[in-house]
Formats: sequence, structure tokens, C-alpha cells
Amino acid sequence: MAETKQIRQDRMTPIERMNALLAGQPIDRVPVWLWLFSSGFAALNVGYSLAESYNNPEKSFWAQLWTIEMYGSDDFPKPSCGGNCEAAWAFGGQFKWPTSRYEQAPSVVRHPVESAEDAQKLELPRDVKTAGSIPLYMQFAKLQERFGLPISLPGFSPIEFVRGTCGLETLCRWLVRKPELVHRLLRLATDYGLEVVRYWVDTFAPQRIIVQTWLPSASNQVISPNHFRTFVLPYQKEFHEKILATGIKHICCHICGEQNLNLPYWARIPMGNPGIVSFGHEVDLTKAIKYFGDSCIIAGNVEPAVIQTGTHEQVYELCRQAIEKVKYAPRGFILMPGCGLPPAVPPYNLFMLKKAVNDFGWYD
Amino acid sequence: MASEERTQELITGLYNAVVAMDEEAAAEFSQAVLEEGIDAYDAVTKGLAAAMDRVGELYVKQEYFVPELLLCSDALYAGLHILQPHIKIERVQAKRQIVIGVVEGDIHDIGKNLVKIMFEAASWTVHDLGRDVKLERFVEEQRKTNSDIVALSALMTTSMLAIPEAIRMIREHDTNVAIMVGGAPLTRDIAKSYGADGYADNAVEAVQEAIRMICQLRESRQNS
Repeated sequence: MAETKQIRQDRMTPIERMNALLAGQPIDRVPVWLWLFSSGFAALNVGYSLAESYNNPEKSFWAQLWTIEMYGSDDFPKPSCGGNCEAAWAFGGQFKWPTSRYEQAPSVVRHPVESAEDAQKLELPRDVKTAGSIPLYMQFAKLQERFGLPISLPGFSPIEFVRGTCGLETLCRWLVRKPELVHRLLRLATDYGLEVVRYWVDTFAPQRIIVQTWLPSASNQVISPNHFRTFVLPYQKEFHEKILATGIKHICCHICGEQNLNLPYWARIPMGNPGIVSFGHEVDLTKAIKYFGDSCIIAGNVEPAVIQTGTHEQVYELCRQAIEKVKYAPRGFILMPGCGLPPAVPPYNLFMLKKAVNDFGWYD
Repeated sequence: MASEERTQELITGLYNAVVAMDEEAAAEFSQAVLEEGIDAYDAVTKGLAAAMDRVGELYVKQEYFVPELLLCSDALYAGLHILQPHIKIERVQAKRQIVIGVVEGDIHDIGKNLVKIMFEAASWTVHDLGRDVKLERFVEEQRKTNSDIVALSALMTTSMLAIPEAIRMIREHDTNVAIMVGGAPLTRDIAKSYGADGYADNAVEAVQEAIRMICQLRESRQNS
């Protein structure tokens, strides 16, 4: 690592920096987010349990705020109430909170859809306001509102929601064998997601809302670009278009994992003005600029496994490379991990994100 | 007894059925193999298993993805269920054995299931412990089966922390076993730092890696 440099004095507060970035105005330095949606690290950092980072909005909110203060990062507290179990929870499946030392997130115990018949019968929850994790998300959003922060809206991606109802293996088989069932579930999932959007827009000013969404199941580690085009693109596009039609301006979308073959399709999906698109280490950020640079803030893509198991020098180097590659992206860049931040990363490794921004991320 | 031409026709039929994800055809060709007195072992190795090699190639070339791999494996198993009971014992070499599972704290098992399929297609005996497996279960199963290889999988960055602990526990009981690891957050470097003997980036590479590990293991047994 280069010699230790003194941390320079910021000329903007994190909120000023983020607002300016979203408004397309100049900022003092590259913003740094320590996590995207999963804030388990923050909960452990202040002595709460990992489960509380999901199921206790009050504790999760404060743990994030305190950890942001401690690291001097530009995050704002963001909720992840049901983890990957949102659909199982909302549609009547079973799940459990993380309790053991090796668990990272809530996990599904029983999917609500276990057969084709279940899929045919599945219906939307009667009242979205009380469905699954929605009351927790709303509680979190009200805290964000009270403290003048951007308000997070859980943007339940249709394909992720379908994966959550029937499980990934079943979904994969049905993409080929029972496409009509997948389309039925995707329709339900899209409608459910849009009901949640309406609930948020009825409660908060749309201009303050940032939608957060992620799609690991759409990665090319799982499905082909053809399946993406047929099953992901039309529903995700409709979802985003209808979100933006409400007056919401920004969608923060994590294009999770290896999605290189899907990028031409992703580029057809509106993300807002600007959107925020984040990538894993599997996608070269130069390529990301090519597809999204004109309309979106690029975010990413420090490999979480390296933050967890690498040396701080390795983490610092990955950060340097990312900053130097994307710092001057047309709509800006946010340095952050390339996927969920592991809750047990060495704190000094995580600090390397902030340090690298200090050393390489200034715009003057 | 079927002619050579007919034998070839049925074996090609089996091969094509698997590559085309056609479960029904795989079952029909397998039934015909038995009815026409063709050696079930040949049908499995030259038809079904060879087809899975081709499927693996298509997966590596990104022409097939997980859905296609799963459906090819459904066709494979449709044929295996019919043919396997009819394989003459003297045709079966001492099978290689592997213990496999997703480590404690992790319920993501699709990758592990794909690896299992590739090993079964390659005629290994697979002792599948499932997902969210307590670490001591790997030790117990390896001891019980005397398997040469233990394969550990994790998809989450937190559950992967169980892997070095599992490796330590397995080695404590038996130093004469090779351990392979895999899963999205792992890399060859991390695998090495955890003390694993092998690493595979995907299901297709896993079998080749296991064969390499077994050769190495036998060499070290001979030398010791």
C-alpha cells in the first residue's frame, strides 16, 4: 500500500454529496457505500444480533446510522427486512431468521408453491399493507422520513419473487417445461410489487423515494440470455416503467453476479434519471459504463469475498482499480462492495473502501 | 440379441435423448435396450454418461445453463433408473466414492446438486448429505464410507467460513482424504488458503478435478 495519507476534510456532507450526485451537480469526491441492502455488519458492529438487522427496523436503522458515522461513509440506512424470503413470507410459506454463526440471512423452510397446482391457485395477499415484511419496511421508511433521509422502497423484482415462491430449482425446470406457470407467477409478482409501490407513493413524496431492487436469479450463472429476454425483461421493464410513472425518480438496481450476456437487455430497462446500477466483480465496470454510463450512476464492485478473506492491501488495490476505472463515468460513481457485505468482515478491510476514496477519489 | 447396427442406434438414441432433455425418450430407449438384450453397462457408459459429457461441454460454452443442465439430468436419471439394476456386477469396477454437501448455515444447494449429477453421470458413488449440514456429519460420513474425496459447498460469504473449520475436523480424523471445495464466493486462492486439496469453478470441472486429486492422493499413499 502507498504511504499512509491523512484523511482529507470533506467539503460536503454525505447527504449533500448524494443529492448533488443525483442532481447531476459537481461533488467533492467519489461517494462510498459500505453496504448495499444487507446491513448485518452494522448490526454486529454495535452489538445487535444479525437477525435484528432484518426483523427490527429501529435497531437496524440506528446500527447503520452509527456505523456510517464511525466510518465516515456516504451510506444512508437501508432496509432488508425479509432478505431473500420476502415472497415466502408474503405468500404463506415458512422461513427462519439467521441464528447460527455461519448463517448470513433468513432462509426459506417451505416455499408457498411446491407443485403446479399450488402455482395455479396462488393469489395475491388480501392486503399488501400487512403482507409479509411490508409492515417492517414501512416502519423503516418512516424512520428515514423522520430523519430527512432518502426513503427506501422495496422493489420486489418479479423474477426474484417467483424464485422465492417456488424455489430456484423448480423455477429453472418450469422455465423450460411449464413456461405458462412461470408467466402466471411473474404476473402475480409484478402486480404485488406494484401494489407495494402504490402504498409507498400514497404515504411519501415520490421525489424522496429510492427504489432498491436486486436480481441474483437472473444471472448467467443460472439462466441463459434467452430466458432473460423471455421471462425477466418484459416484467422487469414494466415494473420499472410503472414505478417511474408515479413520479419516483431513482431506481437503485443491483445487477447481481455474472450478467455479461444480459447487459444488452438490461440497457432496455429504464432506471430513472439518474438510476443507480451496481455490479458484482464479475462485470467489468468499463463495460457497465458502455451500457449505462449515460443514464445511470455506476456502483460497485469490490469483491465481498476479498473484503472478508483478503488482506487489507488486496482490498485497497481492488478499490483503487475500481475508482480509477470509473471515477469519471458520465453520471458518476459510487464505490461499494460488489454484492451483500459479509457481516463478519475484518473492520480494517472495510475501512479500505473509505481510505481508497480518500487517496484516489477526489475530483480536484 | 440386437445387431451391432441396432445397438448403435439405441445408444445414439439414449445419447440424443439426454442432450435434448427428453426424459420420455430416454426411458423408452432404455426399455428397448433391456428388451433387445443389449448390455446395460454399455448403454449407460456410451449413451447416458457420454451424453452428460457433451452436456457439460455445452454448459462450459454457455450454450446450456442451469435449467438445461437440470433437465438433461432428469433424462439421465430416467434412463439410469431403468438400466442400472441390470448392470452385471462383474462389469462394475470398484466405484470411486465422494461425500458431498452444503455446509452448515447455507441452504443454497443447486450448485451442489449439479456437481452431484456430474459425478453420478461419471459413475461415482455419491454420498449426498444435503444442505445446511452440520460439520461433524462430513467427518462421520467420510469415516463410514471410506470415501477418497469430500466435497464442501457454500454460496454465502458467511457460510464459507465454515469450510476451513470442516477441513480441520475432517483432517483431524483422517489425513488420507482429499477435500474439494466450491461455490460462488470461493476461488482457487481461497480454497488453497483454507487448506483444500482441490477447487472447481463449476460442476463440469469438478469431476476432472476430483480425478486429479485421487491420482495425487494415491501417489502420496504410495510414497508414504
